[in-house]
Amino acid sequence: MAKEMIAMLLAGGQGSRLYALTQKLAKPAVPFGGKYRIIDFPLSNCVNSGIDTVGILTQYQPMVLNEYIGNGQPWDLDRLHGGVHVLPPYQKASGSDWYKGTANAIYQNISFIERYSPQYVIILSGDQICKQDYSDFLRFHKEKGAEFSVAVMEVPWDEASRFGLMVTDDNDKITEFQEKPKNPKSNLASMGIYIFNWDILKKYLIEDEADPNSENDFGNNIIPNLLRDGRNMYAYHFNGYWKDVGTISSLWEANMEVLDPEHSGINLFDEHWKIYSRNSGMTGHRIKPGAVVENSMITDGCQISGTVKHSILFAGVRVEEGAVVEDAVVMGGTVIKAGAVVQHCIVAENVVVGQNAVVGAMPSEGEKGVATVGSNVYIGDGAKIGPNAMVSDNVKGGEEQW
Amino acid sequence: MVNSNVDALGIIFPNSHDALVPELVGERLMASIPFASRYRIIDFMLSNMVNSGIGNVSIIVRKNYHSLMDHLGSGREWDLTRKNGGLNIVPPFAEKTVKVYSGRVEALASILDFLRYQKEKYVVMSDTDIAVNFDFSAMLKAHVASGADVTVAYTEEKLPESFLTDRQESKEFYYTLKLDGGRVKEMEINSKETGVTNFSMGIYIMEREFLIRQVSYAYTHGYVNFERDVLMAQLDALNVQAFCHKGYIAHITSLKSYFDENMKLLDEENLNGLFTPNPIYTKIRDDNPTRYINGAKVNNIMAADGCVIEGEVENSVLFRGVKIAKGAKVKNCVLMQDTVVEAGADIEYLVSDKNVTITAGKEVKGTDTFPVYVAKYQTV
Repeated sequence: MAKEMIAMLLAGGQGSRLYALTQKLAKPAVPFGGKYRIIDFPLSNCVNSGIDTVGILTQYQPMVLNEYIGNGQPWDLDRLHGGVHVLPPYQKASGSDWYKGTANAIYQNISFIERYSPQYVIILSGDQICKQDYSDFLRFHKEKGAEFSVAVMEVPWDEASRFGLMVTDDNDKITEFQEKPKNPKSNLASMGIYIFNWDILKKYLIEDEADPNSENDFGNNIIPNLLRDGRNMYAYHFNGYWKDVGTISSLWEANMEVLDPEHSGINLFDEHWKIYSRNSGMTGHRIKPGAVVENSMITDGCQISGTVKHSILFAGVRVEEGAVVEDAVVMGGTVIKAGAVVQHCIVAENVVVGQNAVVGAMPSEGEKGVATVGSNVYIGDGAKIGPNAMVSDNVKGGEEQW
Repeated sequence: MVNSNVDALGIIFPNSHDALVPELVGERLMASIPFASRYRIIDFMLSNMVNSGIGNVSIIVRKNYHSLMDHLGSGREWDLTRKNGGLNIVPPFAEKTVKVYSGRVEALASILDFLRYQKEKYVVMSDTDIAVNFDFSAMLKAHVASGADVTVAYTEEKLPESFLTDRQESKEFYYTLKLDGGRVKEMEINSKETGVTNFSMGIYIMEREFLIRQVSYAYTHGYVNFERDVLMAQLDALNVQAFCHKGYIAHITSLKSYFDENMKLLDEENLNGLFTPNPIYTKIRDDNPTRYINGAKVNNIMAADGCVIEGEVENSVLFRGVKIAKGAKVKNCVLMQDTVVEAGADIEYLVSDKNVTITAGKEVKGTDTFPVYVAKYQTV
């Protein structure tokens, strides 16, 4: 049975700019928004858009991600025909290769795609926070008679040179592609989400693979080649919430925006566009006598005795008496002990912040750093972690790190 | 053994004691009463069985079971979607000779054929009017070690207040045990004893073949009640042993006790008692985390995911998706799924069922001895 469109989700990225958070897991598996991981967004978008076949291309530290995806049941992607498939690089009769680039990752899985003989393939990125209806994107692609479409966002002109930009005519047809140019001719930034006609994609993947000088990358090779050949390429305007959470500060910021859906546009409370995730299975959270909770998101298993302001707490976080958590992202299973102060920072999973320890600081003039503590780190009593610190090893009691 | 499974199958009676909580079972049954912010009562027994290695569970439903079917689905959340065994829901008309069961003997008689073809040596039977973290494998071990025909689980505690004050005889039976060592010498129906007694949990273990024999005999002789007509009638002939459960237990015996048992979980010791050592599974609803908006004031609450809290909440248990608007005051309440408390409403000692709305500015107050109940989908 042929599928109209299947999705290929690029999830092999190391996310090296997230440092301590991605030491042991791939970027798409990084926790987000209180009970999700980044990959829940593209996966839920797929299901909500009617896409029931998703190939997930993994490479870097795939263990957590593999286990998290499992058989795909939380996203309703455990299907007889289709469903979710994790596709790591594998050994072939004639040698084996890591995925050399984004295009090569798809190239190595041509046989997977062919099993479903799709008309269209959508290429997704596993490191963005975005609620998007891919079926509307496909409608656009078909209406334009496109062979390739890319989702674009308007970005401020003064930031445009940080992005890959699409120059288009009045009919949204792409006439030029500029990768991080000094003098941008457009402010339409590529979101790294593409729809291809499968026959076209396959042709260009094979051609690209044969080119020994290619980096096997969509942005650097495939798209320029399509342009060179004058293919029908269109830019699909997306104006919803979209955030590349590739850096500590953007990840922190995106989490904080979840707390203010009225202004930021990232509404997780949308009955008609649910974001699915694997459940923690913990009991309802407890706000104990004497606790103060303001403007925060709190989920199952949390126990709050201290003060929590403008923060996101993941499953099973414990905030003891007298502790203060403010402007912070605190991931699952972490314990903030009595009297500790945790501000303007990201604390990863299963961390212990000792009594009266200090992590991060509220931003001040010239100092806006987001302190980061990696998973399973033990921060001793009275230790001090400065606002620019990136901690991935235990910190002894009383020690300071800046 | 290769895996940790025990050699027993489970049978659950989700309708037993329905009559004790007429308010809550208007459109459901005892088993599917929401409890402890994100669970249904049956989650406890099902999870206990699964955690003890029982992978073959039959649920013999009697009436009002749509909400239960909806909750259980294929049993996946409890790891009971299996090729062999798994979850087996038995509705009343599975056999044309039996209509709606009037007692457990009839209910069991309707699945005799099923029982005959199972491979497990033992049967574990339970009601669903208690929430407890119970180890069936320990009870089974004790049963085997004692050489008993039947083992019944009990707790040493005072009988629920409503049993002592209400006239329960016309509603449901409960049992207390008189013991000689570990052996049950006497069973009393609906005792009014005020001190600590041996209060039966309604959990039984026996060999499958034994159960089949007893039920066939009882059914052909027109007996109805398993405890009264089978067990109590043969206490001299049968070796009925008792197994004491020492851990935390919550009984749902009236609306008041439902309210109290929810409230008791605000105490950490009680919460830990109920949810350790083994996890309790439930249906997943994929709610977002609960959001506390500026102006929210909360003190001593338990809340599930999906709530939006802008008002004041104190000493309360909130189920999934409860909305409390600005200026609303909620004190000593149990608010079930998707209850909405609008701006300026002021409620106290109130149990709201699913999808209740308390409209703006309304004041509804019960007392600690008599909580107000608002039924499913009602608007105040």
